[in-house]
Amino acid sequence: MNSAPFKLLTIYLAFLCLSSNLKAQEKLTPEQLSFFETKIRPVLIRECYGCHSNKSGNVRGGLRLDTKELMLIGGATGPAIVPGDLEESWLYNAITHQDYVMPPKRKLPQNVIDDFKTWIEMGAPDPRVNTVTKINSRITKDDIQQAKDSFWAYQKPEKKTPPAVEDASWPRSDVDRFVLAKLEKADLKPAADAEAWKVLRRLTFDLVGLPPTPEQINSFTAAWKRSPERAITSVVDRLLETDQYGERWGRHWLDVARYGESTGREVNMTYPQAWRYRDYVVDSFNDDKPFDRFIQEQVAGDLLPVKTDEQWTENLIATTFLAIGSKNLNEQNRVQFAADVVDEQIDATTRVFMGMSVACARCHDHKFDAIPQADYYAMAGIFQSMQTYFGNPQSELGSYSGAQEKQSSTLLILPTDDANSFDVTLTKTEIQEIRDEMISKRREMAQSRRSGGNSGGNAQRERAIFQNSMAKLSAKLASVDENGKPLSFSMGVQERDEPSNAKILVRGEIDQPAQTVARGFPQVITNGPTGIRSKSSGRLELARWIGSDENPLTARVMVNRIWQHLIGKGIVTSTENFGTTGQMPSHPELLDHLAVQFVKSGWSVKSVIREIVTSRVYRMSTTFNESYHEDDPDNALAWRANPRRLDAEAIRDAMLSISGELDLERPRASVVAQAGYTRVQNGQLGSPDRGMGGARPGGGQQGDRSTGNSRPQFSGGNQQGNRPQQGRRRPGQLQQNGQRRFPGRRPGGQTGSQRGPGGRVQNPLDMENAKFRSVYLPIVRDEEPRSLDVFDFADSSSIIGTRESSNTANQSLYMMNNPFVIQQSEALAQRIRQSSTSSTAQVQQAFLLIYGRPPTTGERAATSAFIRNFVAPTSLRERGQATLSALCQSLFASAEFRYSD
Amino acid sequence: MFSRRQMLQTASAGFGYLAFAGLSSAQAADEAARDPLAAKKPHFEPRAKRVIFLCMGGGPSHVDSFDYKPALKRDHGKPGRYGGSLLKSPWEFRKRGQSGLWISDLFPEVGKLVDDLTLIRSMQCDQPVHAGAMTQIHTGTAQFIRPSLGAWTLYGLGTENDSLPGFVSLAAPSGSSRNYGSAFLPAIFGGTKIGRASRGGQQRSRGGSSESVPDIRNGALSTQQQRTQLDLIQALNREKVRRDEYQPGVEGIIESYELAFRMQDAMPALMDTSEETESTLDMYGINGGPTDGFGKQCLLARRFAEAGVRFIEVTHQGWDQHANLSVDHKARAEGCDLPIAGLLKDLKQRDMLKDTLVIWGGEFGRTPAAQGGDGRNHNNKGYTTWMAGGGVKGGFSYGATDEHGYEAVENKCHIHDWHATILHLLGLDHEQLTYRYAGRDFRLTDVHGNIAKDILA
Repeated sequence: MNSAPFKLLTIYLAFLCLSSNLKAQEKLTPEQLSFFETKIRPVLIRECYGCHSNKSGNVRGGLRLDTKELMLIGGATGPAIVPGDLEESWLYNAITHQDYVMPPKRKLPQNVIDDFKTWIEMGAPDPRVNTVTKINSRITKDDIQQAKDSFWAYQKPEKKTPPAVEDASWPRSDVDRFVLAKLEKADLKPAADAEAWKVLRRLTFDLVGLPPTPEQINSFTAAWKRSPERAITSVVDRLLETDQYGERWGRHWLDVARYGESTGREVNMTYPQAWRYRDYVVDSFNDDKPFDRFIQEQVAGDLLPVKTDEQWTENLIATTFLAIGSKNLNEQNRVQFAADVVDEQIDATTRVFMGMSVACARCHDHKFDAIPQADYYAMAGIFQSMQTYFGNPQSELGSYSGAQEKQSSTLLILPTDDANSFDVTLTKTEIQEIRDEMISKRREMAQSRRSGGNSGGNAQRERAIFQNSMAKLSAKLASVDENGKPLSFSMGVQERDEPSNAKILVRGEIDQPAQTVARGFPQVITNGPTGIRSKSSGRLELARWIGSDENPLTARVMVNRIWQHLIGKGIVTSTENFGTTGQMPSHPELLDHLAVQFVKSGWSVKSVIREIVTSRVYRMSTTFNESYHEDDPDNALAWRANPRRLDAEAIRDAMLSISGELDLERPRASVVAQAGYTRVQNGQLGSPDRGMGGARPGGGQQGDRSTGNSRPQFSGGNQQGNRPQQGRRRPGQLQQNGQRRFPGRRPGGQTGSQRGPGGRVQNPLDMENAKFRSVYLPIVRDEEPRSLDVFDFADSSSIIGTRESSNTANQSLYMMNNPFVIQQSEALAQRIRQSSTSSTAQVQQAFLLIYGRPPTTGERAATSAFIRNFVAPTSLRERGQATLSALCQSLFASAEFRYSD
Repeated sequence: MFSRRQMLQTASAGFGYLAFAGLSSAQAADEAARDPLAAKKPHFEPRAKRVIFLCMGGGPSHVDSFDYKPALKRDHGKPGRYGGSLLKSPWEFRKRGQSGLWISDLFPEVGKLVDDLTLIRSMQCDQPVHAGAMTQIHTGTAQFIRPSLGAWTLYGLGTENDSLPGFVSLAAPSGSSRNYGSAFLPAIFGGTKIGRASRGGQQRSRGGSSESVPDIRNGALSTQQQRTQLDLIQALNREKVRRDEYQPGVEGIIESYELAFRMQDAMPALMDTSEETESTLDMYGINGGPTDGFGKQCLLARRFAEAGVRFIEVTHQGWDQHANLSVDHKARAEGCDLPIAGLLKDLKQRDMLKDTLVIWGGEFGRTPAAQGGDGRNHNNKGYTTWMAGGGVKGGFSYGATDEHGYEAVENKCHIHDWHATILHLLGLDHEQLTYRYAGRDFRLTDVHGNIAKDILA
């Protein structure tokens, strides 16, 4: 392990894990029992149960006081009772009318308050024991064994001998033999090879998400005539080595990894560090990182041995996978929130890597698969033994969060420095000022409490203002080191001090614990012991087991996705459900063949891609056959290639590429990173100040910092005032040219919606002027850019293995009217006019650039009619440009452009 | 310039879906000669001409709203049938209207109009999870990708305004397009999504909101220029259809362009509510408060209905209270109670309620037993939806759940029955409304569906 000095922020967080919370009942003395029964219980019943018990059917603030467990769990703010600790016991806070005022209308008599004080100080002895139930699973060992023995997905893929085929001349590979054998059995013939230019277009869109240039088409067509195999191989080799490959395939992964740059849900707070994970994924695909390793880094990167800080940094960033799920920050109950976070992590880990929905067993045995409820809690033990980091840094002066987020967290500090140009540097004086301000605020607050001057609503308001300003100050202080240099942060996870086992919760309810289960993995796909030692949480073992050669699901699930992205339809069409409610594989032997090859290749994704795209199946044409369609309307047997609508990124990137405007350089970070930790509302990244509705710290406006390093606006171009970047970078991450201008001219971040020409409301998060690849557009949950959203972008709050593919009037409006489309058409027209002058040549060039082929006779006639009829400006120079621009837009807008045939 | 009809005639003639839909050639020619969206004669005299479906995402609790269960109050705290302890409703139920039907204080405004409602208190579906149940309520099945109820309606009846989509889905959540999609029906019958689930709503000023349809205007081209441009786009598209023989996606694109072109004129006018009176806005709760967002959606629903749109869906999300039922269910109800009542009243005062079928419901209900003390789990075996106007009885309750509200026990209304009934009210026989795809006739109700005749007025 690395021993370099570092500090990971492990600032106190008010997470309580159930296991430590619900310790075995200590024996009460008769005195304690009598004290509770005479002085405490009657008061609770009389004064509190009305609003805070199950009996009343009315649970205010998520708090119940009618059981011991729930009293310790507490409500929105924290535990009602912390035995022995008056300060932390919110019930005491409330009855003494500090931050809360309870009972609401009057104060309890002083002697009653004193009784509670005494009781809490003596350790809050409470005889109200929840009878611990034991849950007996309906799923027996035999059921599990039977599922193991009989269900296809739980058996290890085996190398199958490719079947014999009648037409031995057709296949080029084993993939082809598996497909052809099924076709022959059904009396179907595979479609003929597609034309060379179509194959190349397919290849480049599939592998790098971009169209081929006319020059590439020419040389490919020439090579194809000599040998289609060699032509394909050489193109594939070239494409797999470009950075654009990782941008394309990384984005496929981000779909299933539910990548998003905010929490989503009611209180949508940003994840300013999420982009690091995005870049990590893109880089991993470009490096063809072994997929088993890729899994281990994402599930347990923090626990893997490393040799260098750089490697460590990468591994920590990888664990963002576990932290990036959508979160309900509005959840009032901390324990419930923690349980929901764990649930989301279990769901993502099992569905994304193994196509298993273990999360269905949270409340009861899985209804269809052999996954007993205990298996869920065996995994819950693993995940509850770790801490999840997703919020904003917190200083040593305390952990504060804004009033609107009921739940928050700090971040991991990265062991290597990777600062952004927009990170803030503080002087020593400024640091001291912030400290002083925090301390004085804290003092004021304490004083105000003691004096009791404020009560009820006022006190709450005061507290909210205090929390908001402290949260901001604390984050500001924590974002730099002791010298004021900005630190680099990431989302991710860390182990807690002691791993713990989880208790099964009856119907998943946090106050209904039953028996404890040992940490472990779903039994139906495990053979033998898990190897989890008592000192280890089991997460590293889990990560290794998921990415193990012995795991029956992992390789299958991944090769199935790769097949889907290249062929247009999964062998198993329910790509994230390989359980009994999922679809059966159309070609089980082929699936196994690919899975076995995948593992054998050292889990190389590129090698699976190579195997599929060099097959004969891949290069079939889309030619329709009516009688085949009647037999197999879904083309499950692959008798032809599936015509596929391009996805949103490919459509946008292709327009940029063809117009010549595409910027292939990776932009630094994201607008979300620049906006910082803030709430997103109505398509806007609100400023943190506004977002939290609090006061500004001591008049220190962001812009008037003595260093003059005001946080740059996303105003494109005008960032000369910024501090030069400091800190090291991973090689290849960024050009060494100092400040990188973040492309995009739209004022974003701090400003609101802008009313553009024609009265349009422009949304800053749409970034219509950005020229970089779509994978780098900001993905704020529920506020995805229109250019992506309109073409069925993956819902970033969900695990999406298969996107929808619709054709709608909204898309038509987008292609006809969106400024981005118009801009690209204009740029393309200019580009074409520079190389050809005659309108015939221009039209020819437009078709070659956009579709990769010359126009047909019919299309020539249509374009000629268009040029004749289009009433353009009178000035000759403008007319040429305007007409050609409108023509280029028509070509972008028509169906062929958005289809890969 | 082509008219829409001419365009579609020329375009449709080559449509692959007709050639391969298995229709006889005479039938195909007949179909092809017509605009697929032109209003069609129903199978029999309809009771409703259009539908407004108020879709409550997340599963509103029937036992806290429209299904009064005195036994649940009585047995509060006792063990429930499937574990957990029974949880009485945090809201009082009261007899409302002349009919005296019991509705809780969650819906005081809708409660006042109970004499216009038919409560269906015996709903059932097969899916216990959101995504599946939501898909089933829309398409009849969660297993396959099938056309949505709205798409079937449009396929059966066409629409009365060819400048607007015949089926719109307001504020549809992202990732839900299969719930308003056309599946194997021609794409033009699919729903058009208007507005985003989370975007907008709150910040827009009272009145005008024409920008809520993005990219509805072209800043650079005149209408004539754009028409010329569109002619080229469509010529290219038709070439492609001709080459590909069978390409439902491209056929969908052709139709969507014509529609989009017309929408540019019609939509801004429709979305511009600045001419609505103060009293109308108040009726819908469009006042900047918590009812503002959904109020606008309901107002738009009325405007779409008035304009001749056949099927209008409005989504109101966030009913999934596994916890915080007492606070969040109330907040959700407060967001929509007044707007829904406003919509019903407004339709009535315009004499539109009689032939507009308003449907309210979620993908399932919630368990009578508590979850975590202040929450309820999903319950798909018994829950409530209601209908108003368009040929259903008023002040009427149909079917019943058991004494606690777990399961429908009387006059069960499965989603297939519900679909059959809705189609019936629209003058469509759910057994006759078929579409031939890949050699087989498909129906919305598959091989199921009994009309709930008792609810017909």
